[in-house]
Amino acid sequence: MSLHHITTIAGLHRHLEAAMQLEHATIPPYLTALYSIRPGTNAEAFNIIRVVAVEEMLHLTLAGNLLNAVGGKPNLTAKGFVPDFPAFLPDGESDFKASLQPFSKAAIQNFLQIERPAKSAHHEALEVEPVATGNVAVLERHRQRQGAATLARPPAAAGLRAARVDDDTEEHFFSIGEFYKAIEEGLEALYAEHGDALFCGDPRLQVTGEYYYSGGGELAPVTDLASAKAAIRLISEQGEGYEGGIFDHEGEISHYYRFEQLLLGRYYQRGDDYGKPTGGTVPVDWDAIYPIKANCKLGDYPAGSDLYRAGEAFNREYAAFLGLLTRAFRGEPEVLIQAVGDMFRLKDMITQLMRQPLGGTGSLHAAPTFEMP
Amino acid sequence: MSDGMHRAFRVTPQAASTRTYDVVVVGSGVSGAIVAKELAQSGYRVLVMEAGPGEEMSLADYQRSVERFYGAVSKDNNAPYAENRNAPMPRGPETRKLLPGVPDASGYLVQKGPYEIDSTYTRVLGGTTRHWEAKALRMLPEDFELRSRFGQGLDWPVTYDDLRPHYQKAERELGVAGDVADQAYCGIDFEPGYVLPMHRMPPSYLDQLIARDLDGAEVTLDGETYTLVVRSTPQARNGVPNPAYDGGRGYVPTGAVSLDQAELGLRCQGNTNCVPICPVQAKYDARRTLKAGIDTGRIDLLTQTVASRVEIDPETGRVTAIDFKSYHDPLSPEHETGSVKAKIFVLAANAVENARLMLASNLHGSSDLVGRNLMDHAYLLTWALMPEPAGAYRGPLCTSGIEDLRGGGFRRRQAAVRFSIHNDGWGWATGSPYTDLDLLVDAQNRFGADLRRALVERVSRQLLLDCMIEVLPDESNRVTVDPQYLDQLGNPRPVIAFGIPAYTMEAAAFARRLSKRIFQRIGAEDHTAYDPGAYGWVNYQGEGYVIRGGNHWAGTHLMGASARTSVVDARQRAWDYPNLYLVGAGSMPSIGTSNTTLTLAALCYRSAETIAADLRDESSPLSLVAAEGAA
Repeated sequence: MSLHHITTIAGLHRHLEAAMQLEHATIPPYLTALYSIRPGTNAEAFNIIRVVAVEEMLHLTLAGNLLNAVGGKPNLTAKGFVPDFPAFLPDGESDFKASLQPFSKAAIQNFLQIERPAKSAHHEALEVEPVATGNVAVLERHRQRQGAATLARPPAAAGLRAARVDDDTEEHFFSIGEFYKAIEEGLEALYAEHGDALFCGDPRLQVTGEYYYSGGGELAPVTDLASAKAAIRLISEQGEGYEGGIFDHEGEISHYYRFEQLLLGRYYQRGDDYGKPTGGTVPVDWDAIYPIKANCKLGDYPAGSDLYRAGEAFNREYAAFLGLLTRAFRGEPEVLIQAVGDMFRLKDMITQLMRQPLGGTGSLHAAPTFEMP
Repeated sequence: MSDGMHRAFRVTPQAASTRTYDVVVVGSGVSGAIVAKELAQSGYRVLVMEAGPGEEMSLADYQRSVERFYGAVSKDNNAPYAENRNAPMPRGPETRKLLPGVPDASGYLVQKGPYEIDSTYTRVLGGTTRHWEAKALRMLPEDFELRSRFGQGLDWPVTYDDLRPHYQKAERELGVAGDVADQAYCGIDFEPGYVLPMHRMPPSYLDQLIARDLDGAEVTLDGETYTLVVRSTPQARNGVPNPAYDGGRGYVPTGAVSLDQAELGLRCQGNTNCVPICPVQAKYDARRTLKAGIDTGRIDLLTQTVASRVEIDPETGRVTAIDFKSYHDPLSPEHETGSVKAKIFVLAANAVENARLMLASNLHGSSDLVGRNLMDHAYLLTWALMPEPAGAYRGPLCTSGIEDLRGGGFRRRQAAVRFSIHNDGWGWATGSPYTDLDLLVDAQNRFGADLRRALVERVSRQLLLDCMIEVLPDESNRVTVDPQYLDQLGNPRPVIAFGIPAYTMEAAAFARRLSKRIFQRIGAEDHTAYDPGAYGWVNYQGEGYVIRGGNHWAGTHLMGASARTSVVDARQRAWDYPNLYLVGAGSMPSIGTSNTTLTLAALCYRSAETIAADLRDESSPLSLVAAEGAA
């Protein structure tokens, strides 16, 4: 039996809340790496990470639309919404943690884990065996890569609020794509049961395309099963490609392969094989960064310093920003236009922090901590 | 195109010389890009020749230009681009006050005066749209009929109604953001139900302050009363797409240009340095059009190659080839020569360079009008301090203007004028904010927090109104060439003779008076002052003004109804050379009070249709079969 069938509206809400938490959880790691790049350098790398971060914001918004469509109530200010980095992702992968790191090969490896494909033509899938271990139900998947290396996920994880099925059980997905697959199946099952009543949310709460667009994928309102499935497809394919391919349905390259380009030093173009891009070069200067401390905490800042106050101020500003987004998802989408200015301010605050050495031994610089007040 | 052809569109001079094209286009700016793309999409094989460097098709290249601009001491129009002695560019800061009778050859343009013009253009991939501001105003219907309506200037062989469908194509291609309801004035009309691709840029806070106090003010001129209204300015800058566009199909904006993935160039973020370069590629430039053409697989691009001569068969009058000089190093004079052949040749190198190339080829036209009737807009700047902080330096350079004096019976006597409200403070007029800093530190001895406060207080209240004034065609305003003035490759440099006619200065004097009234009405403190020592200083009826150029070069191969009175016909075909088209603002017999780009883009759509018809008449496309085989 599958261990994470979504069978109730409450279960669906919980998963969509987890989806918003998940989409948001990718943003601090991406922004940290992005802004650690010294201004004026690494133009191609900067843009690759920037595009992914922007699309994660699109995914966050789509997840909000999904939750609103089925009568949920988005809240980005809930305690624990922002993870304590380094952190397991809210969909329960337990073999890696998402980290706040400077732009580096290690950071990109981490991003590849975050965006790894659920299934792909070049990853021969072996048998899928659900395994139950004590109170923790685990979907254990073994996958063999073409090089015959085995990826096994250990069946253990710290308790993650979003992944809790009930008091005794939590679920773990191998990838973000599989997590959304479960949501999609849940939507279909619940639609069979409830019909159009499933989409009982106020359509005026939907955030629409006039507030967001990017090179790939549009922000569409979710009002029925078809638009819900389209939103899920867009999120999954932008992350990991269409059927595990390098490019998605619209011909846009997926996040996983976007990031891989930084390690391979070359752009993919259509028709390329996995791992063998043949487009233009992606020149990367790994040293042109601010040497920030990974997973920095306010406790790492010199107590009582101006720097400490600046770190606190950023966290307050970020919390206020999440409050603004919450308002946008609760019927005031126009505040997203105003939020553009806030994003510039956040960027300024981040780069100000990253220019400052933490002091003491070592020469590491400060970084935003994303510890919500 | 297939993936293997990723960069195959770049050709060497040798390869270009050995191929025969349907069309050779000289210049990769907006005119050339539109013609090239349209013909390539119709199946024709096109060579685009660009004088400047072609390394402008990746994000890293673009970023280098942005950084060069950030680092430049002078933030002039061409600050983002590296020095190129083989395709030199006019630079505003090179302009000098002329001594009577002494030409100034210190910059690229050789200026003979009497008025010294600081207008520029940009010789890189994408041409002058690389530095343009992206205002995309249509001309007025009456602008096409100046002679018959007002007894001034020239009539066009084309009417507004003829051009309307092509304006729509241009607005799609450039991606114009604007509100049609705001644009219906002075006789401008649109097809019923027409909307622009994107919603208007939001009016700035400054616009709103001015509109609050100015809307409804009345001006009487030659017995007619005009009511002033602050209106949004249409511009080719990505904003919020209008879902009602194209019969409800909506509009998908195009963004940054790159041969690889580049999901950049989204909506305007309000960085306020549209000129010379948008840091996020929200502003249209012609590389977008060129890239779409390149994607057909039927465009070859030959860069770092300057057209040097148009070869004519003396018997048939047809162009047989265009000779070129191709270089590797922008600083070194070393180059190789060659020539390219095609069925049809299109000069799209801008009004000055088109004329320069024709005259360098000794082609003056049977009317002797090649290079004559040089036009540009005359800009009078006026500036003031608002009574309260008004939020300067946020938004595109201009989001609104005053359009009500663009048309009217006064044009029998004085030029039309439109006003732009600037969101970038006094920068254009005074060099603000740098000069404000000098003033506060040197003259007022401010420092520390006090200095910061004072700077913010001063800069955020700055209001600059630019008064954009029409200049009519005048045969003595002209581009010529002179063998004593050559560039490093031995190509003749443009020699400019230009004067500001009284018809224009009458409007300048009027605009100055009106701006005083406007400042008074909105409670702003007038700080306008014109320095007799500045270049561009003009004395008119005892008052001094400083007139600045608008970079809207036009008229040097103007279109008309006959070979006797014009250089090209209504489709921009040279009267004297049946397979030669001269396209761009050089064909415009008047420029009214519109920035020229939207109109010249519309004209190029008309020309592309005619060129395609010419080619169909001659034979089937040379390379259609081959190209599709390769695709």
